[in-house]
Amino acid sequence: MQHLRKWLVVLLCVAFVITLVACDKKPDEPKPTDVAPTEGEPGEPTEAPPPASDGVTLENIKLGFVHITDPSDMGYTYNHDLGTQKMARELGLTDDQIVNKFNTAEDAACEAALRELVEQGCHIIFATSFGFEDYVMEVASDYPDVEFCHASGYQAAVSEMPNVHNYFGKIYQARYLSGIAAGLKTENNLLGYVNAYPFAECIQGFTGFYLGAKSVNPDVEMIVMNTDSWNDPQKEAQVAKALIEQGCDVIGQHCDSTAPATAAEAEGAFHVGYNSDMIGAAPNATLTSAVWDWSRYLILAVSNYVDGKAIPKDWGEGLAEGAVDISRLNEALVAPGTAEAIEAAREKIVSGDWDVFTGPLVNNQGEVVVKEGETYIEPASSPAWEHILEGVTMIGD
Amino acid sequence: MNTLVSLLNAAVLAGTPLLLATCGEILTEKSGSLNLGVEGMMYMGAIAGLAGAWYVEQWFGHGGLLAAVFAFVFAFLCGALGGLIYAILTVSLRANQNVTGLTLAIFGTGFGKFFGEVLGHKAGGYVTVNAETKAMYGRINFGKLSEIPVLGTLFFKYNWLVYFALAVAILLGWFLNRTRKGLSLRAVGESPGTADSAGISVTRYRYLAALGGGGLCGLGGMYMSMVDQKGIWVHDCISGYGWLAIALVIFATWNPLRAIYCSIIFGGLSVMYMYVPISGLPLPIYRMFPYIATIIVLIITSMMQIKEHAQPAGTGLNYFREER
Repeated sequence: MQHLRKWLVVLLCVAFVITLVACDKKPDEPKPTDVAPTEGEPGEPTEAPPPASDGVTLENIKLGFVHITDPSDMGYTYNHDLGTQKMARELGLTDDQIVNKFNTAEDAACEAALRELVEQGCHIIFATSFGFEDYVMEVASDYPDVEFCHASGYQAAVSEMPNVHNYFGKIYQARYLSGIAAGLKTENNLLGYVNAYPFAECIQGFTGFYLGAKSVNPDVEMIVMNTDSWNDPQKEAQVAKALIEQGCDVIGQHCDSTAPATAAEAEGAFHVGYNSDMIGAAPNATLTSAVWDWSRYLILAVSNYVDGKAIPKDWGEGLAEGAVDISRLNEALVAPGTAEAIEAAREKIVSGDWDVFTGPLVNNQGEVVVKEGETYIEPASSPAWEHILEGVTMIGD
Repeated sequence: MNTLVSLLNAAVLAGTPLLLATCGEILTEKSGSLNLGVEGMMYMGAIAGLAGAWYVEQWFGHGGLLAAVFAFVFAFLCGALGGLIYAILTVSLRANQNVTGLTLAIFGTGFGKFFGEVLGHKAGGYVTVNAETKAMYGRINFGKLSEIPVLGTLFFKYNWLVYFALAVAILLGWFLNRTRKGLSLRAVGESPGTADSAGISVTRYRYLAALGGGGLCGLGGMYMSMVDQKGIWVHDCISGYGWLAIALVIFATWNPLRAIYCSIIFGGLSVMYMYVPISGLPLPIYRMFPYIATIIVLIITSMMQIKEHAQPAGTGLNYFREER
């Protein structure tokens, strides 16, 4: 009996660790041991020679993707996969030219997945989650002949490896437009935002959303609550409910699942989504979503490779180029005048004369972070905006 | 005050799937089987419940009550299937209970995700039930009762599964402590040899307890896919609640009635940061609270050594009649 209890304690401790760390993640795959690093040094400082595309054409090019979840999240990965499919259609690639590694954790599993993709003969490997970057850098230094493209990262521009590239986009412009729908809809003048982590990519996103709302509703304030996870549907639903109980009547989100949408619908609040048109999940709550069109970048990268041209080091396009946009408006729910207000803002942004982070902007400590008449421009691929503006409260920092 | 009421309301909602799964695990452990596969059985119940509701909508063209009934039955049966796998392996084939349970947790997680995916492909990418079915898992309309300040929010703002879980816990407490069959079940868990000598079938009790316990875990899983995710299949929807339920069994010292308030405490600790922000405390540490509480309770119960609060003596050990 004593013995058994000891074992039970040990087992439970193991279970806690699993729960805390990775119970929902795929277990690490064993690393291929037969991979001999071909080059330890991260290459000579170079003028980025064009990739070695000898004999590689659209018919035989092979692409690898590493995703943190899979398309069933109906969010980030779903949308990125739509981009992959669109690219494949437009370039005429077949299914067996694309290898997807879904549900890859941001740990050693990522490195194993990257190496497997190299082993399978991929020419370009796309890693789509922020936390993959360190593994990308490591694996890329071992395989200088393979091109690695990482979304939302920042290390490619400063690294000396010619085969690493970053891509992202001006999603804050789309968020600004979706924020207009929220700002016009809210009656309590209080928005809620289900946020993953308190770091630049997310802060930039909700600041764009907030500024959009504020542009049409100067009294609006916003509460941001973190879930501490990209994808924890249970937490996301609970956070959305907690925000609504604190008086928020429109919920925005930067997390992967539809849980905030359905939670808002159940509580009689409204919702602005991210990544995919979530109206199907919550027809009585979702107003619109800020969405990506990743196919633009994927087509560019693949065509450049095949043509023997270099893939851009640091790529980030916005509304004007069609890399980001908002999904259809839920006409039955949005406040009158929403479509017109969004169109006006869109024209302003697309014209290139004005951008979202235009001063005067004041942070929640009362300091001016962007002066009147100045505009803060985000670096192309890696968001760097970290100011929490006046009117925004963050919980769970 | 309002924050506290909202927190309690959210704690009950977060605690309900835990309560169902904990009751299931208590029933199983009381019969002498330590089934660590709760997470897996919850996944099985979650997907089976959603699939049941979705198929009813496809077959009959409308959802609502019928879909909810099917979801309930399917989730229970699928959870029980997990329990059956466990019982066959440990009771009949006498495999190691811990290993079997852990394997079941992995199997069930894969089962849920796999069929979630299959269903997603069938539904064209997006499994979701219609508004009629969703409404079955919304708040019960108590009319004026839920308008009462404080009490209304505390007692009358829940979906039917919350009250069902409460009833299950009370019934299970009554069954285990007040009925003849409950006594026999406890005897099987405490000392299978003695129970066998008294003419109680150890095999039958352990099978039935594993089946019933698995079914309850399945219902806990159904709660998470149908109530929390509103009838949409989301990967990772159980997110470790099965492991929490096992910890709760110890927290509640194998007593279903105590499990009621323990599950609310647990649920409360897991959502507390959303209602009571502590400035300066990093969120990852705040989120550890339920786990820290479990470890503390584990230590205290191990130190106190009260027989009534201890794990049934026969739990974790397979019974061989020949080795009595």
